[in-house]
Amino acid sequence: MIEARGLIFKYEKSGDPVLKDISLEILEGTYVAIIGPNGCGKSSLLRHLDGLLLPDKGELLVDGMRTRDTGSLREIRRMVGMVFQNPDTQIVGTTVEEDVSFGPGNLGLPPLEIRERVDTALDLVGMKKYAKRPPHTLSSGEKQLVAIAGVLAMHPKYIALDEPTAYLDPSARMIVFRVLKKLHQEGIAIIHVTHHMEEIVDADEIFVMNGGKIIQRGKPAEVLTRIAWLKELGLGAPRVTELLCRLKGMGLDIIAESLTLDDACAQIFSLIEGKASEA
Amino acid sequence: MVHLGQYFPGDSVIHRLDPRVKIVSTIVMSVLILWGEIPSLMLITLLILFAVGASGLPFRHLIISLRPVRFFLLIFLFLHLFFGEGVHIASVSWGPFSLTLEGLYRGLTVVWQFSLLIWGSSILTATTFPSGLVSGLEKLLRPLKKIGVPSHDLALMVSIALRFVPTFLEELERIKDAQKARCADFRSGGPVGRTRAAAGLLVPLVLSFVRRADDLIVAMEARGFRSGPRTNMNEMQMARADYAAITVMVLLTVFYILDSLTAFGWP
Repeated sequence: MIEARGLIFKYEKSGDPVLKDISLEILEGTYVAIIGPNGCGKSSLLRHLDGLLLPDKGELLVDGMRTRDTGSLREIRRMVGMVFQNPDTQIVGTTVEEDVSFGPGNLGLPPLEIRERVDTALDLVGMKKYAKRPPHTLSSGEKQLVAIAGVLAMHPKYIALDEPTAYLDPSARMIVFRVLKKLHQEGIAIIHVTHHMEEIVDADEIFVMNGGKIIQRGKPAEVLTRIAWLKELGLGAPRVTELLCRLKGMGLDIIAESLTLDDACAQIFSLIEGKASEA
Repeated sequence: MVHLGQYFPGDSVIHRLDPRVKIVSTIVMSVLILWGEIPSLMLITLLILFAVGASGLPFRHLIISLRPVRFFLLIFLFLHLFFGEGVHIASVSWGPFSLTLEGLYRGLTVVWQFSLLIWGSSILTATTFPSGLVSGLEKLLRPLKKIGVPSHDLALMVSIALRFVPTFLEELERIKDAQKARCADFRSGGPVGRTRAAAGLLVPLVLSFVRRADDLIVAMEARGFRSGPRTNMNEMQMARADYAAITVMVLLTVFYILDSLTAFGWP
């Protein structure tokens, strides 16, 4: 379990804190989403999870280890994988497989073990055929998959992603998202910071941040249906949900909690059929 | 577009040689090329032709790799031809300059030596993946660690630099396009204007790279990086071909020594 207790953090001593008293817990194997407007502190919070940033006050614990203890930092960073927004600035190696081997190499694993982990990780994200390619020949989406593989090769328990799909086109975004779901099914906890509401409709829990605080937490059906409120924060809801809410507002008999297209279609079709049989 | 130092993917004997062996061989060969007389040069030429054949590189590669330095070669030749000492060939002279036989001999030898140097190193880079070169260098520099040379960190540094060269070029194009879109002119305006336009590229380029470096460091730290020894996926192991290559280099050196001792001279 990752546990934050009363995190307070400022970048500059005199400035306003970026994180104001954040407490949360992230259980093993869960899919957690963090949303919020730009500058709300979500990236700073994420960087606390593996000790890239240390809190000024409060405590962050990963499976009981404190990020403050320099001795446990390496193990914490192995357990909590980080994927960043910009695919270009997180690839270190001159080839794909060499990049994936960077993390395990830092752990000091023997060459054969590294080789095996690299192959498995690349296979898991579907990038095995690109193993020997230099990274600049890959698309942004493929680079992000390589970054994810690089994290997987360290056998993490949690993967934290800071807007991993921000630089990607829709189809690449879908592929990365599918890989994330697959990893979640494999039992890895996913902590996903994003602006794309469609990506988090299946999350186990959503944290909404604003002004350095968590202002709301709950299931997607609770959070994402508060459309006016989300818009006020500058976030917007999934379009499907917004449509259903408007239809409900028009007095139609609809449960406006659906977040997926299929579910919404089913509701609307049954409504239309109902009307047709009345007439 | 083929350029000097480009890697040609392949799986030949030469490609599979241990990078360490290739680096050391290239250095040994370079020294022998610079010191050697005609017999050594002939032997090295044969060796290089053999290496090109065995590596599956097109022989055209030899000519292409000389293209960027062709003017240097011509200048070398020219200088030796007309400014060398020796017997002047009176029939070929322009004013104070006249051709000498020794000049012709020295000029051609220097061009030959220079070409061999380029070929040797271009075979090295054409058949060795950059990261192989880097880790080979790292292994070779490892003994220097005792006197405080951080060979691990140096190797990683070079490898990251290599990795970012294409990114750097892409970024440069992007910045150029962005400025062209705002009517910057990189082609006309004479040397001063063009230099000024190029200087305008420098600031955004440097800024963007400082930012990238910052992000990269964070990403590396997140993956458990700290300065010092790491393990490598591809541990190098010497095979039979490597020992064969070493033997060839030793023989070549012995030949050179015998040649210079007996002063088995050319003309």
